[in-house]
Amino acid sequence: MRFLSLAIRNAKETYRDPLALGFLIAFPLLFMLLFGAAIGGNSDFSFTIGVVDEDNTEISGQFINQALADIPVFKITVFESASQVTEGLKNGNVESALIVPAGFGEEIKKNWQNQDSDIVLELIYDESDLTFSSQLISTVNTAVKNFARVNIPITIHTSHINIGSKVSQIDFVAPGIIIFGLLIMIPTSARIMVSDKESGFMARLLATPTYPWEFLAGYSISMLIIATIQIIIFILLGIAFGMNIFGNIALAFLIFFLTAICSISIGMIIAALSRSSNQAEALCWLISMPLAILSGVWFSREVMPGYIQLLGDLFPYSHAVSAARIVIIRGAGFSAVSDSILILIAWALVAFTAGILLFRYKMRA
Amino acid sequence: MNLDIRKGELFALLGPNGSGKTTTIKMLCCLLKPTHGTARVLGFDVNKESRAVKQVIGVSPQETTISERLNPLENLELIARLRGVSSDKAREWSNKMVEIMGLESRSKDQVRKLSGGMKRRLSIAMALIADPAIVFLDEPTLGLDPQSRRALWEYIAGLKGEKTILLTTHYMEEADFLSDQIAIMDSGKIKDLGTALDLKTRSLDKRTIIIHAWNITIKAIDQIREKYPDVTINGSNISITGSELDFKDVTDYIHGTGAIIRSAYFKEPSLEDAYLRITGRGLSA
Repeated sequence: MRFLSLAIRNAKETYRDPLALGFLIAFPLLFMLLFGAAIGGNSDFSFTIGVVDEDNTEISGQFINQALADIPVFKITVFESASQVTEGLKNGNVESALIVPAGFGEEIKKNWQNQDSDIVLELIYDESDLTFSSQLISTVNTAVKNFARVNIPITIHTSHINIGSKVSQIDFVAPGIIIFGLLIMIPTSARIMVSDKESGFMARLLATPTYPWEFLAGYSISMLIIATIQIIIFILLGIAFGMNIFGNIALAFLIFFLTAICSISIGMIIAALSRSSNQAEALCWLISMPLAILSGVWFSREVMPGYIQLLGDLFPYSHAVSAARIVIIRGAGFSAVSDSILILIAWALVAFTAGILLFRYKMRA
Repeated sequence: MNLDIRKGELFALLGPNGSGKTTTIKMLCCLLKPTHGTARVLGFDVNKESRAVKQVIGVSPQETTISERLNPLENLELIARLRGVSSDKAREWSNKMVEIMGLESRSKDQVRKLSGGMKRRLSIAMALIADPAIVFLDEPTLGLDPQSRRALWEYIAGLKGEKTILLTTHYMEEADFLSDQIAIMDSGKIKDLGTALDLKTRSLDKRTIIIHAWNITIKAIDQIREKYPDVTINGSNISITGSELDFKDVTDYIHGTGAIIRSAYFKEPSLEDAYLRITGRGLSA
């Protein structure tokens, strides 16, 4: 059980180093506290939406008066024209405007008849408030998809969408912060390994009959212990700040745990490729910060251009964030997030294997 | 490079910085793949049987590579466990090693709080734990005070015969004191090989006579320089080097210049002389 001896050593090295431990826990904790203090507490909110029906069909009427009106967080005011609702926006009478264009009913009908359709809605909102707007987009999107019975993404399609619940800002932000905390594991994992490499301790370890996988397992297990503690602290803190977990907490934990494995493996790859801790650190931040943005850690990815979303989809974190959000906010079950979980598992396996191969190659390079 | 190290021998590799000592050790420890050729460690090929090689070796690298936030016992146990020793046995070995190295009183302190000498001793203990047949000590006494160095020499000397030890050092005195055989390396090649006495004797193609004398006049200096081109005169000390120096001839000649000789002797050849003769006195780029 060489890898366990190594894991114990690595865990001791980390928990006996206040700076490393502080960085791992305190940095994301600070974000959680700031966000918690800023948006926690009285978290019930609603959207006041001005709606204009330019279609004026029975279907558009049903959409406005039933589908939208049934959503508790929406307070709807109907306007006669686009210019009136724009005026209302300017005056602050409504926070956003939804224009149902002519032909909307026809397109919805087509979709009900399994024909190709092109459903278009115009949504006007205050784009400076990214979190608010992303919630709004997400909610309207869901409402339309439900109403139109569009082939919605599997993550929403197969589960009960709890969008009518009292969703708070912290519910939306907390999963992102937890994933951000796990993203920070990339530099931390790399740092431990590179510092051993730089100090020469790695050479001493490599001169023992230990297999490459045992080395990586030794480093990974210690980091996973820390990640588990980190996830528990963040979930508890989120709950303390008013985060509601509508879905299965174990499922949310699984998503976070798989994300941690991905981060640790990516950290190991960077460590194997880096020659110095400075190089590793720069590379880690160069990778993890853009990933945080691409993955929608801080705000919804739906406000991003399509190609950016596509880029984010290549990495595990965007899947982790969206899966965690729909489990926590919408109470989605396993089937709704199974695709994301599979992607996370695939990423973890590929990254860990790549780490082992690289490490093995570098062991004698 | 062709090198044979006999079992139980303490073999020293000497050479200037960058001569390839550490690279040689790294290749023998399977930490670096040779670009060409191979080596056998206790019969195991370093290219093909790296795990078998790693089973029989212990390494103390050049840097004091110890896990700083673990204590000495934890560090020793870790290496013993990685060498495949059971948990109980690893603890037993660790306790024994801290005792041998005189680290009992600090065995529970984190390594970062230990002195440089203690860390060196611990580093060597980590190389020796679990009884490896072959031990590589890469500059084991680097940066130590004379007392600590001397204590470590005595300990290493005590291992002679029991273990095969490959040592690299920049301290000639250390190599002279400890080694059964010495190889002098330069630019990745073995330049000379033999016992310390062999190497010193081989440097005797030129010998030096040191004369302490009074009344060395300018005229006498001129006469001496004329007769012996390789001479250094420093106050009342005259150092004459040459390949065919005859002690009586030299002293008679100096006496003839009017100088009053107080003492004269042949300088004993040192390992450093041999080293400088082989590797050259200049600094390489």
